Amino acid sequence: MARERSGRWPIHWTGEWTLLVAILLVVAITAVVDGNHSYVDRPLESLRDIARNTALLGIFALGAAVVIIAGGIDLSLGSMIALSGTISATTMLALAPAEVMAFKPVGGLVVAAAIAASLLSGLAVGSLHAWLVTAVRLPPFIATLATLVGLRSLARALCESTTGAMTPTKSAIVNVADPFFKMIRDNVWIPVAVFAVLAVITWIMLTRTVLGRHLQALGGNEEAARLAGIRTENVKWFAYCFSATTAAVAGIFYVANESVAAPVNQGRGHELNAIAAAVVGGCSLTGGVGTVPGTVLGTIFLRVVIDAVSKIIKTGADVYEGLIVGVVVVIAVTFSQAGREAAAGRGLLPGGLGLCMVPILAVFIGGTVAMTTGGLAGLAMGLVTAAALAGIRLWQSRRGVGA
Amino acid sequence: MSPEPFVAMRGITKRFPGVLALDDVHLEVLPGEFHAICGENGAGKSTLMKVLSGVERPDGGSLLVDGRAMAFSGTRDAERAGIAIIHQELALVDTLPVMANVFLGRERRGPLGLLDDRSMARETAGLLETLECGVSPHAPTGSLRVGDQQLVEIAKALSLDARILVMDEPTSALTESESARLERVIAALKARGTTILFISHKMEEVFRMADRITVLRDGRSIRTLERKETSPREVTSLMVGREIEEAAKITPRRPTDEILAVEGLTLPWPGHARGYRLADISFSLRRGEVLGVAGLMGAGRTELLETIFAAGGPNWTGSIRLRGREVRFSHPAEAVRAGIAMVPEDRKRLGLFPDLDVGANVTLSALARALRGGLISRQAEDALAAGPLRATGVKTPGVHAAITGLSGGNQQKCVIGRWLLTDPAVLLLDDPTRGIDVGAKAELYGLIDRLCREGLGVILTSSELPELLTLADRIIVLAEGRLTASLSRDEADEQRILEAATAG
Repeated sequence: MARERSGRWPIHWTGEWTLLVAILLVVAITAVVDGNHSYVDRPLESLRDIARNTALLGIFALGAAVVIIAGGIDLSLGSMIALSGTISATTMLALAPAEVMAFKPVGGLVVAAAIAASLLSGLAVGSLHAWLVTAVRLPPFIATLATLVGLRSLARALCESTTGAMTPTKSAIVNVADPFFKMIRDNVWIPVAVFAVLAVITWIMLTRTVLGRHLQALGGNEEAARLAGIRTENVKWFAYCFSATTAAVAGIFYVANESVAAPVNQGRGHELNAIAAAVVGGCSLTGGVGTVPGTVLGTIFLRVVIDAVSKIIKTGADVYEGLIVGVVVVIAVTFSQAGREAAAGRGLLPGGLGLCMVPILAVFIGGTVAMTTGGLAGLAMGLVTAAALAGIRLWQSRRGVGA
Repeated sequence: MSPEPFVAMRGITKRFPGVLALDDVHLEVLPGEFHAICGENGAGKSTLMKVLSGVERPDGGSLLVDGRAMAFSGTRDAERAGIAIIHQELALVDTLPVMANVFLGRERRGPLGLLDDRSMARETAGLLETLECGVSPHAPTGSLRVGDQQLVEIAKALSLDARILVMDEPTSALTESESARLERVIAALKARGTTILFISHKMEEVFRMADRITVLRDGRSIRTLERKETSPREVTSLMVGREIEEAAKITPRRPTDEILAVEGLTLPWPGHARGYRLADISFSLRRGEVLGVAGLMGAGRTELLETIFAAGGPNWTGSIRLRGREVRFSHPAEAVRAGIAMVPEDRKRLGLFPDLDVGANVTLSALARALRGGLISRQAEDALAAGPLRATGVKTPGVHAAITGLSGGNQQKCVIGRWLLTDPAVLLLDDPTRGIDVGAKAELYGLIDRLCREGLGVILTSSELPELLTLADRIIVLAEGRLTASLSRDEADEQRILEAATAG
């Protein structure tokens, strides 16, 4: 009775197809519903926006996915983005202070040194994670939680001490105006190409190399992997380095995009978006399961939904981004588990908790609609939600489900 | 006229996606009897017990307790009807003390609504005493040995005033002495009038204790037999649906030169009263020989194999010589490269990769051989997997089938097959037939014998003595970390091994 696992591979495939269909559906709905018709009138501009945001998130979502598949978690990606960006900017400032302050080109060698320093910082932080996890034996959650907090602080300290030493005043930001970075900012195809190449490399690595197989084995059953003669510490070392380095690459793009390295806020909270993209794309947080196509589609889906909501309700995407990511993760994971839950005979609104969730969900949904659309619509939506949930609850107790 | 059945299951059917787990099953349990359920893995025994205990709801059929039709919607309902189940995988919270587990979900409360620990501890202590279990009600449950944990489950069932106790393969993880204690406990419960429903693979214990035996096969109830009117042979043949030959007496093998020699192996155990897990163990292994390692649970069998394979603690002293050369591996990977392979004791936890398919499970330790131009070639990998799958006789729908869909015996063959690809000279098998059904066991015996004749040196541990006596050329016996006997095939018998295993 291997029913708990036997259904895995079809879910896997349907999961990726479902995502693709969902992406197209969201785009189509946005094109129709959006009052400004931006998808219809300015398709290239919209595409460019979505492509840039998807590439930026996707680059380190691949890193998050690899660590998740290996059975770990990397919570520090957002801070790693800030650290990497700061290191590239401060390297330029240290090597060419006059040019940076005057917003002049710093020269190819200095840019190369800045990028190399960023990537090296990724490898260093990845190694630190691997050491904390394998030698100090911290759980990955704790190790990367510590660096999530620590690296951002370190990045800010680095920024302030470098600006303090090289410029007249200490500062928590470094402006970056080198033409190389401007070129990255103005050519969306560069981050997209980097994302595409990285995705293909990661995909081949996971499906066609010994290392990739060992990553999956490690995530699926760590002790068995060790007993099968796999050097699990080395595999973890690779996974965490890969993850931190993708964040380092993303950090360079963020600096280019915003023409500034700002360690206080750059990349803040982005680690959760990356983890969400991987999970929506089918990676299992228990490890061993996940694909690159799934992660790429998960990233696209997340960005398309965020873009759709900002287009439709005409506010900045950043205001509702967190809410959207949260809801998308809940819905996506719920759907991928739906079969199992139904088989277990559990209802959606069981017992006292189910009863309490009727008004709570109604207030959440009604409140959100009230803020985005208007008070009356919110009230109506809240009432409709409450009625619908109460109906589900009644239907459930009729059938004798739950309790 | 026969008495009214206490529990009657009529035409029970249970369907899981893609599987008909139970197909029109009939079972009648008489009050006060010891009723054994026998069947191969996948025959539906556990599912049937889940239906009886309210964990699963049947898709069809009726369940009567004391003549009344029941429709359980959870274990609570079943408990109320007097049915308690002890699952194969124990359902205890390791971090809680024993008494908290016994009263989990039914905690006693004092006048202020706070927990009444004293009364719960007192009652738990009383129950454990009747069960010959010497643990404290306050001990953390996770620190108990498996046998004691099982008694805690039984204590829980007793505190529920269960009239029927369902046990799903309770002795599979127990040592001989723990099994004997469990048998005494069961006998005492039976004397008190408790009805026992017992699932087991082990014919010996079934025939020692059962009043009646029901055989399941492929989700169907085949027959219910009176113990006195049947024989183990009949029951096993009903289970597999064909006659099984008694594990064919293996003709003597001809071991050749020495491949592995262990001398004065000592593994310390800091913080334990004994001070060592293994003390001064010496033995040698020749090519083409099966060396059996006997011992009760905790005797150090697993630790011995793990130390040789570098999978255990690194602080051992003594010497291990492989092909005459002293070795000291720091990681299993080195042991594998040197030609040692280990099949770990807990297949699910330590041997299998549930997310990888059958082929990937087999090729994992030798993937480099499937590389073409630096990348894994699918064809090369399938071809690589095909060899050991054929050699070990794995029955699988295909190389890309889910490993979790295979039976325990076939899964174990896959784990052994994985090692055949690394060309080992020494194969360590830690209780390889645990939880594997009778038919598959015989096949594994054949496989081990064949590998051995091809020149492999095999070290085999087992919790079942007949298995060691069937397979091993020599048997060493461990007791509490010391080697207490080394017996040749002709000297070894159950009596002698047990004496050595219990020698203090």
